Amino acid sequence: MIEICHLTKDYGNHRGVFDMSFQIHKGEILGILGPNGSGKTTIIRHLMGFIKPDQGTVQIQGKDCFQEAAFIQQNVGYLPGEIAFMDDMTGMNFIHLIAKLKGIHDLSYAHWLINFLELNAQGQIKRMSKGMKQKIGLVIALMHDPAILILDEPTSGLDPLMQMKFIELMKKAKQQGKTVFMSSHIFEEIENVCDRVVIIKEGQVVTIEDMEQLKHHRYKHYEIQFHSLLEMEKFMYQHPDAKRHQQTVSLLVKGSPDQLIKELSSYTIDDFNVQPQSLEEIFLQYYGE
Amino acid sequence: MSGVLYRKELRTNFPLIFLFLMIITMYATIIISMYDPNMNSSLQVLAKSMPEIFAAFGMMNVSSSLIDFITNYLYGFLLIIFPFLLNVILCYRLMGKYIDHGSMAYLLSTPIGRRKIVMTQYLVLLTAMLIVVMYTFILIILLSFLMVSEESLDIIHFLYVNIGLLALQYFLGSLCYLSALIFNEARLSIGIGAGINILFIMIWMLSQVGDQLEILHYLTPLSLFDPQLLSTGDGQSWLYIFVLLLCSGIVIVLGQRIFQKRDLPL
Repeated sequence: MIEICHLTKDYGNHRGVFDMSFQIHKGEILGILGPNGSGKTTIIRHLMGFIKPDQGTVQIQGKDCFQEAAFIQQNVGYLPGEIAFMDDMTGMNFIHLIAKLKGIHDLSYAHWLINFLELNAQGQIKRMSKGMKQKIGLVIALMHDPAILILDEPTSGLDPLMQMKFIELMKKAKQQGKTVFMSSHIFEEIENVCDRVVIIKEGQVVTIEDMEQLKHHRYKHYEIQFHSLLEMEKFMYQHPDAKRHQQTVSLLVKGSPDQLIKELSSYTIDDFNVQPQSLEEIFLQYYGE
Repeated sequence: MSGVLYRKELRTNFPLIFLFLMIITMYATIIISMYDPNMNSSLQVLAKSMPEIFAAFGMMNVSSSLIDFITNYLYGFLLIIFPFLLNVILCYRLMGKYIDHGSMAYLLSTPIGRRKIVMTQYLVLLTAMLIVVMYTFILIILLSFLMVSEESLDIIHFLYVNIGLLALQYFLGSLCYLSALIFNEARLSIGIGAGINILFIMIWMLSQVGDQLEILHYLTPLSLFDPQLLSTGDGQSWLYIFVLLLCSGIVIVLGQRIFQKRDLPL
């Protein structure tokens, strides 16, 4: 469906994308994960035909993304990473304008989305908060019910409730067999939605993994606060790799926490916390091995 | 071209165009009210007292007929500079801003495509200039009719002057638009286009001051707009108009080609 083949775009100073290749299959939700400046948006700009590759090819449905950008747009919904609407109009007017430009006559799905996202788009865009604008962006990306969605950091600016709603929308899109490509720098966002994930750093692919596989191999930090010092020392003795900060013990565990929880049931515990691994730690994991 | 986008842009920019129409109305009314066929209007006395300064602003042929008076004092400078300013602002609002702020991304995420966007926005620019020149043409005819009882305006020859002005503004606007299509940041995309045109205007003003600087005449496209020549209906003036329109066409095809192939910072 979407094919990126030996894509290189060099912005100098090691910025850009270098010899990157991966594919997105039909009906799949693929996430691209990387820190800021790793090249996520550069890839999306290529897919949208805003820029052309120095080397390599970028194709959607077998068509070159730069040469045939206008044609490709008929089947693509796009959410830009940076929100830049025409700010001299109301949100609703802007939605209507883009709908007309996209040739949408039936706005019922757009209205459904507006309701679903609890969006009040009547006000002037320049007075809107980041979250409101993000919702308008989502409505515009989804309203013509395209077969392919390209979303650049779709949940940025949304509150947790809206993030849940976004996940719901993506699950629905998956049921309808849509192909989704989304970027993020937050693992959890990708984890809940995507089938596969491409992890990139400094413009190069670090790994491409199935989400199931990745979850399986994923480490988490467990922070345990013991009631008594004695018990803590006993636990520390059994887990020499655990780290201790005052009353709290921090332990890194791979995969399921089942065993740990069963073991802890014999202790008295004041507090228990789970911290997901940061993106940096995930990268270290791949570079380390 | 996209009709939806065309109508949206005309609607959005109409207040701005209207503002310029009002400014032109004000100046035209003032100038025409000063007309005196006996050649002793205060303006003409002033012109005789400092001919170089008046020449710089394209007001050198202090003649007595109404059409000469109007082309001198309105078409010599004011009606070059005000529509030109509108050209610059519109190039920013129609293209420069969208590229710099990134809202071009939304236009390009529709099936319209770059080519149509470029042509639609250019047509909005041309339409705005057409509105301004047509309005000015009708306004001056009306004002002359109402305010000057001694003499009637030669409408056909006055029309030639306005066609010449329109061709000139199309050319200046096309240059501004070209620069808006090429550069990413508004500061450059508007600055360079407007800067080149302002340079042309300044060279043209200098070229009219004295005989020594007359060579400058050949260095500026504004020399192709000669209101006096146009008002005589001379064949050469039609050649000038043709050259201006042809150059506008070349500039816009060039801009379109460059824009089609370039990377956008979206």
